[in-house]
Amino acid sequence: MFVNQKDSPMRPPPGRQQLSREFISRFQRERIVSALAEETMVKGYQAVTVADIVRRAGIARNTFYENFSSKEACFLAAQDYAAEEAFRRVVEAAAEIESWQGRVDAGLTAFLAAVAEEPELARICFVEAHSAGAAAKQRYEESLQTFFPLFKVGRKVSPHGEKLPETLEESVVGGVYWIIYNRIVEGKTEELESLRGELVEFSLTPYIGAKAAKKVASGTKK
Amino acid sequence: MPADPAETSLDPAPEYPPELSRLPPGRHGLPREFVVHNQRERLIAGLAEAVAENGYASTTIAHITRHAAVSRRTFYEHFDSKDACFVAAYDTVMDELRERVGGAFEAEKDWPRAIKAGIGAMLAFLAAEPNLARLCMVEALVAGPVVVERYDAAIQSLVPYFEEGRKGRSREVLARLSPTTEEALVGGMVSLISRRIFAGRTAELESLLPDLAEFALTPYLGSTEAAKIAREK
Repeated sequence: MFVNQKDSPMRPPPGRQQLSREFISRFQRERIVSALAEETMVKGYQAVTVADIVRRAGIARNTFYENFSSKEACFLAAQDYAAEEAFRRVVEAAAEIESWQGRVDAGLTAFLAAVAEEPELARICFVEAHSAGAAAKQRYEESLQTFFPLFKVGRKVSPHGEKLPETLEESVVGGVYWIIYNRIVEGKTEELESLRGELVEFSLTPYIGAKAAKKVASGTKK
Repeated sequence: MPADPAETSLDPAPEYPPELSRLPPGRHGLPREFVVHNQRERLIAGLAEAVAENGYASTTIAHITRHAAVSRRTFYEHFDSKDACFVAAYDTVMDELRERVGGAFEAEKDWPRAIKAGIGAMLAFLAAEPNLARLCMVEALVAGPVVVERYDAAIQSLVPYFEEGRKGRSREVLARLSPTTEEALVGGMVSLISRRIFAGRTAELESLLPDLAEFALTPYLGSTEAAKIAREK
């Protein structure tokens, strides 16, 4: 539905002009990013136009271009926003926990919750990123890589840590991403949180063995 | 921009499609079916080369016909669109890959070594054919929903090879394997392989065999036994 800019909630209400420019701009950017994500969910990124985004966000075309130079720039901002937010939540969830196993459990739980809460953004990051150009693909790669060091700590916990395959973290994170990808493609993101235990087991098994991994996953940990 | 030879040089003599100029001159006496088949294969190979060079999104039909050395008209005799040509190419590559993986797997008697052989066959094929590797593991995701669906299904079709590993395991081991184990293992392996291909490191793929075999076997055999088999030979 077309929303005239005059009626748009983007426009600060009269008499409340003290809202900082920075606040408005951040709010606008988030709104535009959400609009892109919603449109992408409906028709796929390739088919989305700036006009679609503008219409859904209820802003003027100029406002879009004040914030982003192109549809692609907006897509990349969506990826950045989602990846930063998810990573922040993972780190926050894991911060207080002493054992590495417990941190993996808490971190994965937070990550899956972030994906399930924002299915549109998740689709951008896990699905559309593969076909949205080289810069988007690069960001996908970087988002995978942010998790490698967190898993690598497990080598110190593992009784055979020095013998583990060099590429183990890549396969583990790749496997978790694939499970998420499939659920998004099938429109079953709400299933993800119930897969927490299985993914914790999958991630921990190479480091501490299946028996200990199962124990962590089933909640018999501190 | 230089004129595309496949576009410009071919129009005048439609009764001599350019692909025949590559066959011995004179009455080549080749049955039409052979020529047609040959054209189709060349178009598929041409697409793989063009896509490796330009990426799927930027590849044009002119790129494909130039690499295949056939006319634009010939292209349209075989395919309606670039997408249709890609689907045909994808299916051809995947049939070949499936056959090699299946053959290698069946040739080994015990399951852990069959898994290792299957992974090995996949890595060997992809490493030997970098253009096809890129086509089926990277560009497939760019080539629209029809191909993406096939891609997802192809990866999922590897799951039964791993599920066979559950046969004959102790109840204790089976209790620890969760329903998504195989899906995650396959996804993890494919992710690593695809990322190497995307990074232009296709030549390294075969060196990943021990790592991938150990990763795949660990949930079933435990890490000591998995590592032993993975590092054999």
